[in-house]
Amino acid sequence: RSELTNLIKTIRNAMKIRDMSKCLEEFEQLCRAFLKSKTIVDKEGMPPFYIRLLSDLEDYLNQLWEDKEGKKKMNKNNAKALSTLRQKIRKYNRDYETEIASYKEVRLFAMTTQDGRFLVICCCCFLANNTYQVFGNIFVTFLSQSPGDCGNRMHESFNGRHTSEKKKEDRKKRHKRKERVEEEAEEEAQEEDEGEWEKVKGGVPLVKVGNQMFAKGTEINTTVVVKKLNEILQARGKKGTDRAAQIELLHALANISNENILGEGILVKIKFNIIASLYDYNPNLAAFMKADMWKKCLDCIDELLDILFNNNNIFIGENITEDSENLAIIDSQPFRVRGCILTLVERMDEEFTKIMQNTDPHSQEYVDNLKDEGRVCGIIDRLLGYLETKGSTEEVCRVYLRRIMHTYYKFDYKAHRRALGLQGETKSEQDAEESEGEDSAFIMDRLCKFIYAKDRTDRIRTCAILCHIYHHALHSRWYQARDLMLMSHLQDNIQHADPPVQILYNRTMVQLGICAFRQGMIKDAHNALLDIQSSGRAKELLGQGLLMRNMQERNAEQEKIEKRRQVPFHMHINLELLECVYLVSAMLLEIPYMAAHEFDARRRMISKQFHHQLRVGERQPLLGPPESMREHVVAASKSMKMGDWRTCHSFIINEKMNSKVWDLFPETQCVREMLVRKIQEESLRTYLFTYSSVYDSISMETLKEMFELELPMVHSIISKMIINEELMASLDQPTQTVVMHRTEPTSLQNMALQLAEKLGGLVENNERVFDLKQGVYGGYFNRAFRLDQMAPQKYFDVNLTISSSHDR
Amino acid sequence: MATRKETPSTPTAPMASTSPGATLDSPVKQIQIEGLVVLKMIKHYQEEGQGSEVVQGVLLGLVVEDRLEITNCFPFPQHTEDDADFDEVQYQMEMMRSLRHVNIDHLHVGWYQSTYYGSFVSRALLDSQFSYQHAIEESVVLIYDPIKTAQGSLSLKAYRLTPKLMEICKEKDFSAEGLKKALIGFEHMFEEVPIVIENSHLINVLMWELEEKCTVADKHELLNLSSSNHLEKSLQLLMDRVDDMSQDIVKYNTYSRNLSKQQQQKHQYIQRRQQENAQRQTRGETPLPEEDVSKMFKPPQPPPRMDTLLIAGQINNYCQNVKEFTSQNLGKLFMAEALQGHNS
Repeated sequence: RSELTNLIKTIRNAMKIRDMSKCLEEFEQLCRAFLKSKTIVDKEGMPPFYIRLLSDLEDYLNQLWEDKEGKKKMNKNNAKALSTLRQKIRKYNRDYETEIASYKEVRLFAMTTQDGRFLVICCCCFLANNTYQVFGNIFVTFLSQSPGDCGNRMHESFNGRHTSEKKKEDRKKRHKRKERVEEEAEEEAQEEDEGEWEKVKGGVPLVKVGNQMFAKGTEINTTVVVKKLNEILQARGKKGTDRAAQIELLHALANISNENILGEGILVKIKFNIIASLYDYNPNLAAFMKADMWKKCLDCIDELLDILFNNNNIFIGENITEDSENLAIIDSQPFRVRGCILTLVERMDEEFTKIMQNTDPHSQEYVDNLKDEGRVCGIIDRLLGYLETKGSTEEVCRVYLRRIMHTYYKFDYKAHRRALGLQGETKSEQDAEESEGEDSAFIMDRLCKFIYAKDRTDRIRTCAILCHIYHHALHSRWYQARDLMLMSHLQDNIQHADPPVQILYNRTMVQLGICAFRQGMIKDAHNALLDIQSSGRAKELLGQGLLMRNMQERNAEQEKIEKRRQVPFHMHINLELLECVYLVSAMLLEIPYMAAHEFDARRRMISKQFHHQLRVGERQPLLGPPESMREHVVAASKSMKMGDWRTCHSFIINEKMNSKVWDLFPETQCVREMLVRKIQEESLRTYLFTYSSVYDSISMETLKEMFELELPMVHSIISKMIINEELMASLDQPTQTVVMHRTEPTSLQNMALQLAEKLGGLVENNERVFDLKQGVYGGYFNRAFRLDQMAPQKYFDVNLTISSSHDR
Repeated sequence: MATRKETPSTPTAPMASTSPGATLDSPVKQIQIEGLVVLKMIKHYQEEGQGSEVVQGVLLGLVVEDRLEITNCFPFPQHTEDDADFDEVQYQMEMMRSLRHVNIDHLHVGWYQSTYYGSFVSRALLDSQFSYQHAIEESVVLIYDPIKTAQGSLSLKAYRLTPKLMEICKEKDFSAEGLKKALIGFEHMFEEVPIVIENSHLINVLMWELEEKCTVADKHELLNLSSSNHLEKSLQLLMDRVDDMSQDIVKYNTYSRNLSKQQQQKHQYIQRRQQENAQRQTRGETPLPEEDVSKMFKPPQPPPRMDTLLIAGQINNYCQNVKEFTSQNLGKLFMAEALQGHNS
């Protein structure tokens, strides 16, 4: 047999290099060798690899034959060999027609399934059969193309098997691998020993329905049901198994066990399996559950939880082995069932996310689906209650995190109203409100603190912290949110986290920035949003949509992964709001800064993006009234530059902007008031920076009237500017005026300073050239050289100051 | 020479330029300009040039001994977008022919150009002056500065390319080495030719008459005290040039660094090859053939230095301007101060 495999190898090689004569030679040898091993073949049946070769070879030859161009190019020897070989193989293959046909069928099937993981599963169940080699061999070729070490590992083991003939060894190997694979495969391997080619179509025959499941008259008891259950489960994951039918069967089984009062243990077990098969229904990881499946799944989990709550004596857990399960009703002995309810619920949650991801967010369907969110939350809540009494701390942490994940992004309107002190209209309403449950803030606090204290995996804690911050920020508890963010030191090591956590971090950061803005901490808001906004990929960073990029950067596989990371629509942060908040805070910071440093040669920008927007605005050939949010901000910036706060105000806060941005905040009125105040203040500052050179003195009364600020406010702003040495002036208390000192350099002097700076740069560059020539770095020459060059520059300085002082 | 009498007369306008004093070995040592030419140029700018736009025209005249006499001029028409097929040379020829018909000097002796705050040292000027001087040896370029003139003193300067620069331009060798060999610095690029403005006696007489009639009030531009505007503009331009200069220097710097790096590599390569060959010889094998090293290491393209030179010249020009302006203004200011003190 090894002789055969060797020959096949050489033939394949020859095929690859199109060496027909070699091919023919080897083929003849192969036929002879095959005849020799006839006896073994008769005993064991046709070796599948042989069939495979025959079929492949024929295909290959036909293909070559078709290719007239290629044939002409071939040398005579080869061409001759080709025609003889073709005829031979035709004749030869006629004997094995059936086998080849079935092989092709299988191959076709394998080609159509693309998901690598699924293939692995398929492979595993085929392993269970005797025909494993056939399929194994086939799949190896496909698996080697599919990514991941799993495929490679399979490949190796298959290759290993080619050489060894002993079946027992195979068994052992199989056992080892089985640990990775689902348990079902194990059972199958032992039970089923007859395997044929038809496997593809059939699956395990389970087309018996309802009561006919059991032979009439059989006493239905626990063991029988368990046996039947196992029987059904064996088909799970196999090719061709009708998954819907399987679910039906399981339901029927559940009914039977209910009718016969076999106790909750067995029922729980069956339910577990039903849910698992529901999850299995979709072969593809990317696909999402159908609506009816999803409903069924929710119902099932609900029922399961009902049972668990009603029966205190059921123990479930992953660590209970199949053997130590206790399903039968034995008095005073609790049920022990294998399975983990937490995993099921987690999976359910993921499915829910998947469904939301795959629904068009602007359709009614999305709203309908979103209605299930309440149920999902309810289930998680119930599970939480259950696990708090029974589960380990680790499990509790996990379920808490799920709960947190469903809470953190929701704005708690009830608590908000309560905090505002709005009394309910009537006493009863108020009572109803209070009895409806605690504030989400308290819940978050309790859950998160538990996780901080008890969690041992870093990931859950990180997520909990981020959600907690997000929740704080969402409810305008800026200081708590900021302190938590700073204390957690997440900024330092977030880049090591996995992408979903990073997305959560970005969301939190953005929410924090928006919160700071609402609280009037413009600088903090700007800093928090800077990173996200300056990249220009806010959409991607927040997991709210993919950016159009060329395909080199991202292939289909990556795209799929990225799609799976997207945040469902109802959790999105409004990007326009985000950008507007960022731009407005940039405007409030940048415009006074620009006014203050108008003549600075090396002025740095606070916000590049804002400058970009300004430039875009300037480039417009025709300036109409602003339309988009950005245009509004740009127009506002322009009027602010002139110190015209009223126009600025009307650009920032108007009908359009209200509907686009500001109304999205919960405390719209507060935010707007804050904004007006900020605009007034910053406009005052800008005005003073820009026009201070025009004034000898200015009365604070006038400023107060101009900017509609209170006198103390004006006083404090001006004092601050004087202290920071931004404004060269002094306050005259009795007359309430600002007296300008007029020590700022004139534009000419500024220009001279700039020139001096530039000349300095020039000299430096020149020196470098000089250094290179001389091969000396910073030698004596340099100094002399520099003095030479500096002379004219000094000359200008002196001259200019004199002349400009005389100018006045 | 029918239009002009060959008699010396006192110039009526103040002499705009000072003689550089250096002995010039060019065919033209002095330029004598007819008042008509000056007025025509000024008129041309007033009519067509504004802001930083530049007007140009052709000078006509002839050489007498070592003196170039410019007796007439005509402007180049302003280009407009719609007549792109306008042929300038054709126009000049046509113009000169017409002038000849009315018996005016028609010999081409150079060209004139207005300038904006003294920014005229440019590649374009260099190229056209080169082609002029190449074709007609005695050609000059007259630079008219309307802004300075508006301040009260006529500013008119005549320039020629130095013979050294002419040679370099002929060879088109603007590399650092070429310039170094020719000993060209920014100071030696252009030579200024002294100008004398001369009028016929009849005009002189008319001028005398006019001078008596006009009042003193018309001459006060000279005493204008404002300075910052002019200085700001000059500084702005100066700064731009300095920026250009900086860039050029940086470019040159990277070039020379690359060059030295490559030289090192080349050196190493040759050494290695030699070692290998020596080893091979000891082993009795044939030595590796010497490859063309220069092919393997293409030297980087040296940046042309001419632009830098021009920029340096321009900077120098600006500096002179600013210096002149400030010193004048200082004088004026002191004078004003003295007057104020006297009054009060």
